[in-house]
Amino acid sequence: MDMNEIKEIFFQECEEGLAELETGLLALNDGDDDPETVNAVFRAVHSIKGGAGAFALDDLVSFAHVFETTLDCVRSKQLEATRDVVKVLLKSADVLADLTNAARDGGSVDPARCQALVADLEALANGEIPASDDAVADEPAAEAESAPADEPAPEAQAEGEDDFKPIPVQFDDLEEKGDDFEPVPFSFDDFGTDQAPSANIFRIVFKPKPDLYLKGNETLLLLRELDQLGTLDVACDWSELPAIDELDPEGAYLTWDATLTTSEDEDAVRSVFEFAEWDCELTIAAAGEEAETAEDAAPQPDVEPETDESQPDTEQEDVSASKEEEQAEPVEKLELPNVIDLQQAAGANRQQAAESAAAPKAQATASASGAGSTIRVELGRIDRLINLVGELVINQAMLAQSVTESATSGSSAVTMGLEDLQQLTREIQDSVMAIRAQPVKPIFQRMSRTVREAAEMVGKNVRLVTEGEATEVDKTVIDKLSEPLTHMIRNAVDHGLESPQDREAAGKPAEGIVKLSAKHRSGRIVLEIADDGAGINREKVRQKAIDRGLISAEATLSDEEIDNMIFHPGFSTAEQLSDISGRGVGMDVVKRSIQALGGRVGITSTPGKGSVFTMSLPLTLAVLDGMVVSVGEQTLVVPLTSIIETLKPETEHIHGFGASGQLISIRDSFKPLIDVGQILNFSNMPTDPLAGVALLVDSEDGGQSALLVDAIQGQRQVVIKSLEANYANVPGIAAATILGDGQVALIVDVEAVVSASRSGALKSEMSLAAVG
Amino acid sequence: MSDESQTGTGQLKLAENLDLTAVTPLHKSLLSARGSALVIDASEVERIGGQSVQLLLSASKSWADDGVPFEIGNASDNFLSALALLGVGPDSLHVKEQTQ
Repeated sequence: MDMNEIKEIFFQECEEGLAELETGLLALNDGDDDPETVNAVFRAVHSIKGGAGAFALDDLVSFAHVFETTLDCVRSKQLEATRDVVKVLLKSADVLADLTNAARDGGSVDPARCQALVADLEALANGEIPASDDAVADEPAAEAESAPADEPAPEAQAEGEDDFKPIPVQFDDLEEKGDDFEPVPFSFDDFGTDQAPSANIFRIVFKPKPDLYLKGNETLLLLRELDQLGTLDVACDWSELPAIDELDPEGAYLTWDATLTTSEDEDAVRSVFEFAEWDCELTIAAAGEEAETAEDAAPQPDVEPETDESQPDTEQEDVSASKEEEQAEPVEKLELPNVIDLQQAAGANRQQAAESAAAPKAQATASASGAGSTIRVELGRIDRLINLVGELVINQAMLAQSVTESATSGSSAVTMGLEDLQQLTREIQDSVMAIRAQPVKPIFQRMSRTVREAAEMVGKNVRLVTEGEATEVDKTVIDKLSEPLTHMIRNAVDHGLESPQDREAAGKPAEGIVKLSAKHRSGRIVLEIADDGAGINREKVRQKAIDRGLISAEATLSDEEIDNMIFHPGFSTAEQLSDISGRGVGMDVVKRSIQALGGRVGITSTPGKGSVFTMSLPLTLAVLDGMVVSVGEQTLVVPLTSIIETLKPETEHIHGFGASGQLISIRDSFKPLIDVGQILNFSNMPTDPLAGVALLVDSEDGGQSALLVDAIQGQRQVVIKSLEANYANVPGIAAATILGDGQVALIVDVEAVVSASRSGALKSEMSLAAVG
Repeated sequence: MSDESQTGTGQLKLAENLDLTAVTPLHKSLLSARGSALVIDASEVERIGGQSVQLLLSASKSWADDGVPFEIGNASDNFLSALALLGVGPDSLHVKEQTQ
């Protein structure tokens, strides 16, 4: 592992820290006054500072330092976390994120912006209200003025400056370990917080077993080694020591309780006991730490199961109860609640996790201790695994097909074995997909910054409310979600919400609300962006559409159709192109990028109440449930999600329309009947509707159409193979897949086929004849 | 324990090296000295392990229970520093520091 890799880990940690920082600040903003929230926020900045110091990222260190000083004032209650204060803190978090990005990817952050915030932060730390008016909302926040303590914090700050010395990390010895080196998540948390510079305090409770001495280990030497790490304070407990005539001279009756103040980390302390760990009861706890992670406790070796002893702890008695009979001598002295037996740490963690699930406020602590149960894996490796599983699915389908073709009896052992294999394959596929599934939380968090910045730019008061952050979706989808979501959020702030004055005039609170929510619905993820603004001004939209020649002046459009006009290319209702939405990107681009993900977007709007944009996306871009159909001599796959129903057309349902168009009447309404073979240029002859099958599909504008195909072959899950990546973009076709017989089948882009049926043929420069 | 010499007045001289191998002989010597006042000479001690200290502590406690005087005298620096490192206060063992 070289320096760059270690640095990369640091930046990953930074990202997590920044996310935690933002979560905490937003919680403070919402009135959360849990000291643990403030602590979590402080820790996040502190860790970033510590790590940045190790890598000599001076800009980052100095900004983080000022930020931290102010947070320390909040932590020590010298500064009350009012909305105005949190506003400055949130901005600082943004700058910290920018500085981190700049440190990683190069580039720089506007020094003036940094300077201004540094001044604001310092002012806050000094008990003043920042001078820059944009940091302060309309209300002058009387509470903020009276809140700061009488003794301002300059000393704290000066002290802090002296206090902080970045500790360079020694990487030299890492090299020696070569390939054995496992990346250990950095924790800079312990870098000199309240103690003397970089002092860690560990409480070590150590009770040797007779084996320890038998194996040539010696308590004295262990303690001496500890002593060399720093300042050691040892107390020996001989309360269990029997009288001399009852004593086994080679027994072990003493317990040592040591407090070590050291600049070393816990690993260094633990390594002292490396060879003695199994022959003693050992507890190492950093002062103030609640519990150790399970990973810190080395696994119990199989060879010595009898060494599994436990020490009773008030919190842990239930866990240790089952092991009580093996427990020779309980150590009464452990009264500190923060000491938990290592061997029980796993259980403790579970317990802690369960508790924190019940109390969401404790999440910060829970995630801190739960961090050890995850591993970082390069995305490329997972992608490779997913590809391989895709191949496995295809291969299994091919095998199944050839067995079916050659086997005469359906119940042969081979067929049954194959069924098991099929089930197993499906399970493997689901599990692998679950690996890549991630909660939408990070992207939602990024949106809160988008809202802040957009609101500031247009001078509105906006609050982002998020819901369903834990909803999981494939990483590839998440990565592509950011752009359309950012645009829609900006759009909601810029166009959706009214100005504070207008809102007040309309009897609404001056602060507008943008609500971002995510949920799973029938195998898709549905994202909603709702604002409580004025809703779509349909008159204006309609007029604009007429002005631009998109519709004729006489056209009668439903409300829904007018609302959907905003997705039309080049449509913008903002009277003046503003900075944030006038970037040449219209809602049409948003719609297209969502469609490219196999998604749909729609809008509902209530005048005076606001608008809701709804995006529905597949959970994964790797597999798809599809209807396999025949068109001409081709086999196509139609995504199941777009099919509403299938039907066999009858004579009385088919009606001619115009020169060559056809309509099908379904339950008293007419839907266009689209001959897929013709649209895709598979055949010159129109398909006979009576001989084919119609698939009723949803289209984006809320309308429905019927796709006419020759026959339905079946329904199955297919592995999506990109045509763009493997061949070229083909209009009307979304992707391809490989079927059980090894044939390539094309996956129909339903939306493109439907719109092609309206506007004429698909762009002919790449006709399907060229592909097929 | 070869180096230790027991006198009629209950005296015991600790060996130079009180590691694992020295514990059992020391235990025996202490057991046989039980019941009368004991002065232990720790002047020669170069090395002492946890189990020997444990043994001496048990002896000190047993002697105290018996109401019989127990004292460790002439403690060498190494003996004292080992006790300090092990968190055993000299008083617990009735240690008198080396006079020389």
